[in-house]
Amino acid sequence: MEDFLSKINENFINTDVEFETINIKVDSSQWVETHQKLKDEFDLKFFSWLSAIDWDNEVSIGEAPKESVSPSFEIITCLSNVSNNNLVTVSTTISKLEPKITSLVEIYAGANWHEREAYEMFGINFENHPNLEKLYLPDGYEGNPMLKSFELISREVKPWPGEVDVEGMPEEPESDESVDG
Amino acid sequence: MVNTLDPQNFNNFSEASVSVEIETEDMTLNIGPQHPSTHGVLRLVAKVDGEKVYDVKPVLGYMHRGYEKLAEVRSYPQITTLVNRIDWVAGFSNEIPFIAGAERLMEIEVPERAKHIRLILTEMARISSHFVFNGAYALEVGALTPIFYAMEDRERVLDLIESVTGGRFHPNFNRIGGVKPAAGSGPTTKKDIQDLPAGFYRDTKVAMQKVIEAADQFQNLIGGNEVFKKRTKNVGILTAETAEAFGVSGPILRASGVKSDLRTLTDYLPYDQFEYDIPVGENGDCYDRWDVRVKEMVESAKIVLQAIDSMPSGPLQAKVPKVIKVPKGRTYVRAENPKGEMGYYIVSDGGLGPYRLKVRTASFSNISILPLLLEGALLPDLIAIMGSLDFVLGDVDR
Repeated sequence: MEDFLSKINENFINTDVEFETINIKVDSSQWVETHQKLKDEFDLKFFSWLSAIDWDNEVSIGEAPKESVSPSFEIITCLSNVSNNNLVTVSTTISKLEPKITSLVEIYAGANWHEREAYEMFGINFENHPNLEKLYLPDGYEGNPMLKSFELISREVKPWPGEVDVEGMPEEPESDESVDG
Repeated sequence: MVNTLDPQNFNNFSEASVSVEIETEDMTLNIGPQHPSTHGVLRLVAKVDGEKVYDVKPVLGYMHRGYEKLAEVRSYPQITTLVNRIDWVAGFSNEIPFIAGAERLMEIEVPERAKHIRLILTEMARISSHFVFNGAYALEVGALTPIFYAMEDRERVLDLIESVTGGRFHPNFNRIGGVKPAAGSGPTTKKDIQDLPAGFYRDTKVAMQKVIEAADQFQNLIGGNEVFKKRTKNVGILTAETAEAFGVSGPILRASGVKSDLRTLTDYLPYDQFEYDIPVGENGDCYDRWDVRVKEMVESAKIVLQAIDSMPSGPLQAKVPKVIKVPKGRTYVRAENPKGEMGYYIVSDGGLGPYRLKVRTASFSNISILPLLLEGALLPDLIAIMGSLDFVLGDVDR
């Protein structure tokens, strides 16, 4: 782990470690070459997952970020090695106005379905993807459900049953009172 | 009239048939979504040439419930209920990585006893999941009997899970900081004596012995069956390199000869205190995938027996705030579930619920290998190969 981390730090500029997971931040132009390097030189051959985060200050569901963020998509992949506990997440930020990035299918064949999911859920275009079409959603479905601006229709039609709800419940604890479960 | 039996005429006939090209049309075969062998609602669109499958397109989404979206409007304790329903054959296992992730961000140290109870129940969930696989897979390749044995044996394990958690499939038993006080164990007014139900250790020991016997029985009943061997050996061979690139994990990866188990690689539960083997296959064919799971059941039973003997005493819950708020940060916790690597990537902004929750499920990546594995396979092998991947649609679609 130590050797691995120092080798990562030699090769990549923007890295940090959070709970034994190494996070590498790269520019979207280096997206493919970073993964190629991690696969070939760092032996991270196991493709765990790819997904995205919609960063936005105005949200129609859930809680908005407490600190102001610049609206963007963050794309994250998770890579690991099957014979040790090296775990690396690679992330990049792309513009919301022109959400596109190069596909990783050539390097990791398993990225195929994950990219299709991110395409339908967030509307991110993966260039050079062999078959970029909807994965889960039916044909003709409009909108990208995982966007923070996408409303949860069931909540609009009918408020959540009962009084105890995420929106209803939150009250700051009056003291630092702790309880035993 | 021409005598066709005359050798000279016969020669002429065969020449004629060679010179005419027979044109065959490819057929598109739709399998599912309501096909029993698809374990739910997976749909396959297969292009077949005679009995050979040359292109398969899985169509997903019939079970998509949008858990990642729902998680954004739920608080952390509420999400535990949701994640139970992802892989419903092993409901308990789904809770572990999520709870562990929230605890990690909140920096809560879980009491040893709670960790042990979690470990025992998650291993029981693995056993029950593998029982279902054993019965269902034998059924799919044509053996009707084993499913009755498997369901009976599984019920014994589910009864134990139910006696502790109150639920057979959806325990919803984990709490941030520990586990819920067990159901039906002592008066509810006194928290300190609410623990595992009376006779749990004794019943578990009996049930685990039965599991070991059942696994032995399966080895004879299914593994020793000549038809089963013929249908599964050297069918659907998956190499380790392909499996890794596709993110295929769990018993399928191990059947391809990779000795990889997150129970030993990571420390989400105290597996390092117990001795167990990691069964590995050689060829990566359907038979190995079946074999690895049967052997895993025995290992899980051994882990449970050891955990029962070394059960620490102490509280079931750590001290946690009344209102659960997870500090800002992000973490990915993965666990070795019956079907492979399951993990939750929690992005917290310090609120009551996560800003984003990415659910990484094993079956999703595992069945993404289907188009590759089925290319060039025979149509009857399609079911055998698909079944050997042991997927659950809730785990695929989320």
